[in-house]
Amino acid sequence: MKTKVVLLALIALLVGCATDVKVKGGVPAPLSEQLPFHVQLVLDDAFRSYQYIDDPERGKKVTFAVGEAQTDMFRVIAAGMFRQVTETAVQAPGVGDLILYPRVEEIQLATPFENKLKVFEVWIRYNLRVFDGSGAPLADWIMTSYGKTPTRFLSSDEDALNQAATVALRDAGARLTLELTRVPEIRQWLAENNR
Amino acid sequence: MTFKGLLSSVLIASSLMLAGGCTTTTVNEHRESDAVLSVGGSETFVLLGRRHAGHYEAEPEFIRCIGSKMGAGNKLKVLDEQEFIDGLYPWFEPRTAPLNLKRLSHMLHDPLVTSRMKALGVRYMIWVDGNTETTDKSGSVSCAIGPGGGGCFGFSTWDKESSYEAVIWDLKDFTDKGRVRVEAKGSSYMVAVGAPIPFIARVQGEACDGLGSQLREFFSAEG
Repeated sequence: MKTKVVLLALIALLVGCATDVKVKGGVPAPLSEQLPFHVQLVLDDAFRSYQYIDDPERGKKVTFAVGEAQTDMFRVIAAGMFRQVTETAVQAPGVGDLILYPRVEEIQLATPFENKLKVFEVWIRYNLRVFDGSGAPLADWIMTSYGKTPTRFLSSDEDALNQAATVALRDAGARLTLELTRVPEIRQWLAENNR
Repeated sequence: MTFKGLLSSVLIASSLMLAGGCTTTTVNEHRESDAVLSVGGSETFVLLGRRHAGHYEAEPEFIRCIGSKMGAGNKLKVLDEQEFIDGLYPWFEPRTAPLNLKRLSHMLHDPLVTSRMKALGVRYMIWVDGNTETTDKSGSVSCAIGPGGGGCFGFSTWDKESSYEAVIWDLKDFTDKGRVRVEAKGSSYMVAVGAPIPFIARVQGEACDGLGSQLREFFSAEG
């Protein structure tokens, strides 16, 4: 009996020592005019399976898998922004008028242990590489997004982190939709190829 | 001390704390005119929380609370905040939401945005700015469990303050129709003699009641 109690206590202790989240939560289709171009959206394996691990000396270990959620976000945003989208896992020259190839540069996290609040904060920095249809580089756009747990009355750290990551992905989608065409090199390309 | 004496002490302390665990609420209102704002049969209004500041944001549950207060027992149609934001994504995200009427007017130059707003029938937009925070904490409660049983012992108290301001925008003429400000303060207590007994001051709840009731007075549903 005593052994069972000790084992249960150990399991409870281990479970409480880490936060492990697979981010779930999509972004809505953007309300924006579709550009009359065919875009190749390159989402490689590293991007699709991206996982962030934070294991500080003090505080809980945090692992969150954001690959699937960010893949969905880029799919939804690209479909809303462009008339035709072809998704590939490897860059293929000759497919599409424009090639978008995102990569995660960095993720930073502020945990409740660090900020003394009941919220998580997530920063995601993307490098969106843009090429023309022949594969010639057009732009390297560094885009940072931010998300914070919007409510403090959640039952678990996992829910709070999932919310913060979802807000960060929505922020990234908003920046893509509203700011991509304002990147000077892309604006110039759009003007030169206006249909 | 005998059990009866201990029970009496707990009851007396509890009564004192119950009396003390209350909230004081102040509501201030500013109107551009005395006229009540009419809301046509198909017109709706939406309550939105300000979330652009990094160190605080209007809580979604508070926005829902006000929406419930405003929509209860009348014909006013309140749109759900998240459904509105999702329907107009990405124009009302924390980074992109208009901070003033001029910016909103500019945003509505986009035909897709205008079309969606018309489809939703949005006439009034109410922005709620502010938050509820814990301003002070003291004391502690310790709990232990052993072979003979378990329990808690101690006393803790915490103070909360709510401060919110609601601004009403009329989308028909792009004017500010009024503002309501609410402030609420309260102290909560936790007494633990065996079992923990909380006395929670409904600070955010009182702020919601005050703000929701006052905002409802601004409007009159037609038809």
